[in-house]
Amino acid sequence: MALAVCTGCGIGDGIDMEHLMQVAGEEVDGIACMKHPALCSEEGIDHLLRLVRDAGADRLAIAACSPRVKSEQFRMDGVYVERINLREHVVWVMEPDDEDTQMCAEDHLRMGLANLGAISDIHPYIPEQVHSDILVVGGGLAGLTATLDGASAGYRVHLVEKSDSLGGYAGRLYKLMPALDGHGELREPDTSVLAEQVLAHPEVEVYLDSTIGSISGEPGNFLVQLENGKETSLTVGSVVVSTGWKPYDATRLGHMGYGLSPKIKTLEEFEKHSKREKIPDRVLFILCAGSRDEAHLPYCSSYCCSAALKQALYVRERNPEAQVYIIYRDIRTMGFQEEFYKMVQSDDAIFLTSGVVDSVSPDDARVRVTVKDSLLDEMISLETDMVVLATGMVPSSTEDLQLQYRLGKGLPEIEYSFSDSHFICFPYETRRTGIYAAGTVRAPMDLESSREDGAGAMMKAIQCIECVKRGEAVHPRAGDLTFPELYMDRCTDCKRCTEECPFGAYDEDEKGTPLSNPSRCRRCGICVGSCPERVIGFADFSINSVSAMIKSIHVPDEFEEKPRILVFVCENDAYPALDAAGVNRLKFSPYIRIIPVRCLGSVNKVWISDALSHGYDGILQIGCKPGDDYQCHFIHGSELTEQRGENLQETLETMMLEPERIRTRFVEITDYREIQKIINEYVEELELIGPNPFKSL
Amino acid sequence: MDFPILIVGGGISGITAAVELAETGREVLLVEKEPYLGGNVAGFNNYFPKLCPPACGLEINFRRIRSNPLISYYTSAEVQEISGTKGEFRVTISVGARLINNRCTSCGKCTEVCPVDREGPDSYGPAKKAAYIPGGLAFPMKYTIDAEICQKEACGKCVEVCDYNAIQLDARPVEIELRAHRIIVATGWRLYDASRIENYRYAGEPDVVTNLEFEHLLATCEREHKKLTRPSDGETPKRIAFVQCAGSRDVNHLPYCSAVCCSASVKHALTLAESYPGIMAEIFYIDLRLTGRNEKLLNKAEQDDAIKLTKGKVGRIERDKNGNGLILEVEDIMAGTRRMDSFDMVVLAMGLVPNRFLPAITTNENGFYSAGQIQGIYPVASCKRPMDVASSVKDATAAALKAMHR
Amino acid sequence: MMDVKPDIGFKRELIRMSGSQLNQCMQCGNCSAVCSLAPAERPFPRKEMIWSGWGLKEKLIGNVDVWLCFQCGDCSSYCPRDVKPADVIAAVRQKTYMHYARPRFLGKLVSEPAWLPVAILIPVMVIASILSVAGTFKIPEGPVDYSGFFPHVWLNSTFTLITLLFYGVAFLGLVSFWKDMKRLVPSSGQETGAGSKIFPVLGEILSHSNFSACGSQRTRKIAHMMLFFGFGLLILVTLYAIWASHTGNYPLPFRNPFKIAGNVASLMIYSGLGIMVYQRLFNRSVFGKSSYTDWLLLTAIGLLTLSGTLVQLARFGNWSCAYHLYFFHLVAVWFVIMYLPFTKLGHIFYRTTALLYARSIGRK
Repeated sequence: MALAVCTGCGIGDGIDMEHLMQVAGEEVDGIACMKHPALCSEEGIDHLLRLVRDAGADRLAIAACSPRVKSEQFRMDGVYVERINLREHVVWVMEPDDEDTQMCAEDHLRMGLANLGAISDIHPYIPEQVHSDILVVGGGLAGLTATLDGASAGYRVHLVEKSDSLGGYAGRLYKLMPALDGHGELREPDTSVLAEQVLAHPEVEVYLDSTIGSISGEPGNFLVQLENGKETSLTVGSVVVSTGWKPYDATRLGHMGYGLSPKIKTLEEFEKHSKREKIPDRVLFILCAGSRDEAHLPYCSSYCCSAALKQALYVRERNPEAQVYIIYRDIRTMGFQEEFYKMVQSDDAIFLTSGVVDSVSPDDARVRVTVKDSLLDEMISLETDMVVLATGMVPSSTEDLQLQYRLGKGLPEIEYSFSDSHFICFPYETRRTGIYAAGTVRAPMDLESSREDGAGAMMKAIQCIECVKRGEAVHPRAGDLTFPELYMDRCTDCKRCTEECPFGAYDEDEKGTPLSNPSRCRRCGICVGSCPERVIGFADFSINSVSAMIKSIHVPDEFEEKPRILVFVCENDAYPALDAAGVNRLKFSPYIRIIPVRCLGSVNKVWISDALSHGYDGILQIGCKPGDDYQCHFIHGSELTEQRGENLQETLETMMLEPERIRTRFVEITDYREIQKIINEYVEELELIGPNPFKSL
Repeated sequence: MDFPILIVGGGISGITAAVELAETGREVLLVEKEPYLGGNVAGFNNYFPKLCPPACGLEINFRRIRSNPLISYYTSAEVQEISGTKGEFRVTISVGARLINNRCTSCGKCTEVCPVDREGPDSYGPAKKAAYIPGGLAFPMKYTIDAEICQKEACGKCVEVCDYNAIQLDARPVEIELRAHRIIVATGWRLYDASRIENYRYAGEPDVVTNLEFEHLLATCEREHKKLTRPSDGETPKRIAFVQCAGSRDVNHLPYCSAVCCSASVKHALTLAESYPGIMAEIFYIDLRLTGRNEKLLNKAEQDDAIKLTKGKVGRIERDKNGNGLILEVEDIMAGTRRMDSFDMVVLAMGLVPNRFLPAITTNENGFYSAGQIQGIYPVASCKRPMDVASSVKDATAAALKAMHR
Repeated sequence: MMDVKPDIGFKRELIRMSGSQLNQCMQCGNCSAVCSLAPAERPFPRKEMIWSGWGLKEKLIGNVDVWLCFQCGDCSSYCPRDVKPADVIAAVRQKTYMHYARPRFLGKLVSEPAWLPVAILIPVMVIASILSVAGTFKIPEGPVDYSGFFPHVWLNSTFTLITLLFYGVAFLGLVSFWKDMKRLVPSSGQETGAGSKIFPVLGEILSHSNFSACGSQRTRKIAHMMLFFGFGLLILVTLYAIWASHTGNYPLPFRNPFKIAGNVASLMIYSGLGIMVYQRLFNRSVFGKSSYTDWLLLTAIGLLTLSGTLVQLARFGNWSCAYHLYFFHLVAVWFVIMYLPFTKLGHIFYRTTALLYARSIGRK
């Protein structure tokens, strides 16, 4: 083991470095040490490399700046580097040349060294065989694009379609909107061309009239059983789910007259009607039929405005004498589709107004529609020969994937049963690693977006396979080579890990014993936090390693009036926020001792009791925001912490300790001022409560 | 071995394309014209519909960049020329004068001694010096000297205090020639020039701000725990108007819809309602375009007493001759009235225009790049058509796959 | 509840006459917002645009708001869809003259190019017939004396009679116009007698205050004032001339103050017309597309004034073509004066009536 300390950036000015190195010597016998005024400089790196080489060290502690900076400089092959953040977390935020600051720096050094001593070597999980084939479920536009793009990138793609032909919704269209810039005429459908390319591609296998019997296994090794009359089974590395959508059930739109007369149709029905049937002289379109409606679909289905405008042109093309009436809420022709809107409006037999349809009453000959809140200055009544309801988009059920996961057969759904990612920055951040939703099963979208989405999801499917081949985690802990290792002898089959894992990485056998699928794992460590028997750990993040850090510090006795507060910070948002506080030189109490964790959900109860019995006066856990708009990339890490917090209060009671000794707070990454407030207020509060009675024990 | 894939533009789309490709095993090269990665969103306060800070996703991506040796990046760099063909493009990049080099440790001594004040990228950010860093979450984490305003050798104070030999005030731009297998163009967007909409008085009225400026203002207030004040006199505004389609959907300016401004304004209004009680927001719109799940934002806004949604495009903005407010002339269509209402501050929901980087790639009539023009060059996201962040990231991921085609 | 039956024929007429792609209106309300004359309650012209888009003739013809517009063009220049509301409203006004024209064909006669020959032929025939009956339908000998060609008694009696006839039927149109205005925009509060509003309306017209309210329309105001007062002055001069012809003090000598006034009025009209023609030709972004009726009216007034000037010069100069010019002048007089209620000049009646109504219901 080796230690390099940097005295630059004010570190050496605020801390007695000689003493610090002395502490290191006390903690680790014979540790090779060096000090440099600018460790990250070319000269400093030279020194560092010499130190590591001379000491033959495979573990190196660098006591300098945050691990978030100079990472390229301090990256060293074959050496595990522990960055002890003396700059942003100590010197920049505490009084220089101060006894308490010195103690804080020394404790952080102790914790870093303890961690280095407690972790084990990293050996990544790489299955013997990683399959590079990719399964695409659903042969609509998104699925076809995914298939063709995946195959063109050199991956073998198996496309499974439940109907007898490819093309999906796009394949059934009479015509398409003008090209992307919104100008020009309606186009002939081109999905069949795409389908032919897919069928002709040597790297593509198409299974028509087929459904999924089951999908089991993990990324790199998914075993897929198909149901198509034959016994077909495939092994694939990853899956793209593009099962599309179905129109909202119009029979629920009785108030809009659906079902009362054949003259009242849905967009889907009228698309078919437009191809062959006679078009009457007056057709009225009702937009948002069932969409943007709390009683039906609360969301906007995104495609219907343009689709209805397009069908208005069908009417005019097929029956030049016809008039078209369009009743809309808001016309939502985004981007260049605005040009298409204008093009449709250039036909003077197409009449538009916004308004709310009040009644639709068909009789034998015609339909009367009344509209309130119209732009025509009063309530209006219109007579028409046909009504088209622009019904919304309902995603198909992903239960049909038949995933053999403990957590369910389908993909987890966020709002409104779409299998979307919860993250704006990461639209493919799936909760079933290796399985990526694309197209309208993920979110309401139009054809062009579905195309892009098919390609995007395929990219992630390919990437997942490549990551598994290297034994790396996929986003957000991309590149992480560790994985959860279970000491099964002590497992009591309590099922906490299988229940709490947000990604379904654990299955169970009949007895309820967890079966780990490391390639499904995203390395959040929530299972580490969940296990009451403490049998789960990662090579560099385990019950022991964190306990060692907690216990490594010297807690002054109660008469010294120097409280110690342990702060668990989530690496994702809270840690960078602390760094940002450092850059802004915000002042913190020197009594805090910071331990970064993979997720607040990874904090095990035993660490809390270790800390309390070691004499810490309080424990502050700072994580990402939970709730409907949660920001935790491990889904419910923060929520679990809140739930577990209730149990912890019982522990506190049994230890006869005040409930305030444990506190959980949530911040956003930009809350550097907030985090300062949270920490300093907590320290003040604890000073009022007084020292932890376990100190003297 | 293929040449690396070049990505032009280090905003959220370019960054996404870079990390997705690198994590799939491809070597990539990211070129960004500003000194920092992150593009427009780095200055944002929050995203719709979650109202979460963009810095969160950027931080994850910066970590992915830091830890991946397959990614190299040039900041303050612009592509000068592209020649050659798919598989073996030749690219000339000019890297702007780096007055502070990579030896910078971000210790901040230069900024302490720097005598020259610098306006932020927005006029609302914290006061900065010519030697500056845009914030504690910037990437790369190093200081920059604004060469335009630095007094260079005439001052030299920063050089004296820098312990790391990181400052070279006489640094010159350099040109780099390199080869690229494929090129992804993610040069992004900027706002349409607000002063061109003369009847909205942007040029003469400090309290008429663009939505981007307002975004920066909110970001500063939220991060720095500051009070929200208006530019003209530092008073807290009580009524803020949001003027939709400022430039967009207008044949006199931008004929297309900019796709994000409705959601952005509703987001602003909800942020105000949540964090600044006592401020009334009124949004004036033609059509409210919040598609998909963003509809939920609209529902929240409709239910909030502090937010009013009014159908009607604002015709004119004038300074109130008697008071200190701004008068908006607008037809409240659903109420059937023509209003001349006073507001303390006006936010123009400006339309987006694409950034251009090379005249070689032709554009459509609105200046956006069209896909598929040159084999092996893929325009993505908002330089292709107006789109929001989620769509841009999606498109960038899709383009990454196209760049992997054999 | 309004039973909407779109009249696509009417809509297409408006599109043709205005040259506006009015169906591309997206109902943003920008037009009503920038309009300086739009009232606070139920402003125009946004609602008129959608009524036009839906071909709702019954909502537009007889709508008082259409007459509160002075076509300054602000709505058109700021329109994000370039659908020129000002021109559409102007087309509606044109349709209004046609709608209330009695007999109906008179409206068509002066609004459609195809009917122009007939519109010219009618006065030619009528004047020729009068002259034939009077027995003077030949070029007189000697120095130019127009009364020898068209005796004053004949001229004054027949032209007055015909004018009264035309204006009489026009008055019937105005009566139904008034009724329609009342039906479409009833008084929202207490209605004041229209009589008491005559002077304010006259003041408004004389001062051109509505033009001042319009955005940047100084030149337009000046041009209209020149034409308005020039025309008014000419009418006064004409009335004096008629009186003079009875008292025998006719023709007026060149230095007669009325003669001078008449020529000053002509100059005013020339200048006003010049500005208008120039603006219509070279400043389209503000003035919009000029329709047939616009040009017809400008041409007719121009020719009327020009022929008047020439007729006068021909008398002083004893030109040989004097009587031909005089005949032409009489046709021009007919065109402008008799056809007045059915051409764009009808606004003299319709706008005045509408302003009176608007004031009486407090809409102005």
